[in-house]
Amino acid sequence: MMLSPQDAAGALRDIEAAQARSAKLHGCARSSPQLLLWGVLWVIGYGLQYLFPAHAGVIWGAIVPIGLIAGFAALRGAGHEVGWRYGAVALTLVAFFAAVFLVLWPINPRQQAALIPLGVAAAYVIAGIWRGPRYVTTGIAVAALTLAGFFLLKQHFFLWMAGVGGASLILAGIWLKRA
Amino acid sequence: MATLRGIPQGEWIEFSRLKAILQATDGNLGSHIATLEGAGYIAVNKDFVGKKPRTRVALTRSGRKAFAQHIEFLRTILDAAASRHNDQEGTS
Repeated sequence: MMLSPQDAAGALRDIEAAQARSAKLHGCARSSPQLLLWGVLWVIGYGLQYLFPAHAGVIWGAIVPIGLIAGFAALRGAGHEVGWRYGAVALTLVAFFAAVFLVLWPINPRQQAALIPLGVAAAYVIAGIWRGPRYVTTGIAVAALTLAGFFLLKQHFFLWMAGVGGASLILAGIWLKRA
Repeated sequence: MATLRGIPQGEWIEFSRLKAILQATDGNLGSHIATLEGAGYIAVNKDFVGKKPRTRVALTRSGRKAFAQHIEFLRTILDAAASRHNDQEGTS
């Protein structure tokens, strides 16, 4: 059977659309468990920081490695390819925030606690420029909630981040899962 | 095949997820997968997560190559048509 140029052009358009759609949805499926995981960890981490503000270093020193290992395990368990890039991304983020804190030092715990979610929010907005509006919305929501808590709820900022920040990540994870 | 090609090489996708993306029925998708698996274009992996059965599929190397050739073939048709169009314009 001979295909006409119109048929060939139509088939190529369909292929491109199908590939783009599956890449986008696969990305959502990949990100969703990570958001759910970090949402829960934010609830625990910021909740503990609210209760024991003097032990923030110990709390996050435990939470971050747990999150990275659990995130790795979640991706592997779901059959996603997780190579050196996962470690490289984690290392880059840790190095970036360490450098930022070093440059801005002395920095108080509230500022530290606000900077990391703002960085994560920016990463989501940037990812969303390629991957779709759900990532952009998630990033903007996290940034807006972080700033609102930082400026309006000075005494209860950690509690706000535990409840509203963590919940927003969990909701975003569910939202991406349903994409 | 196009949907599977949108997934990074070496990664698997769950049958249920693929079904949702394609908005296909179990029977329809199962039949396509069986045909493509028979041709060696996709690989099927069945295992358990806890007690829950899981079926995952991925494009094989030969499937990726065959699909790339198909795309190339479609592009050849378009290039030939464009070339004929240019020749006609040149002679008129």
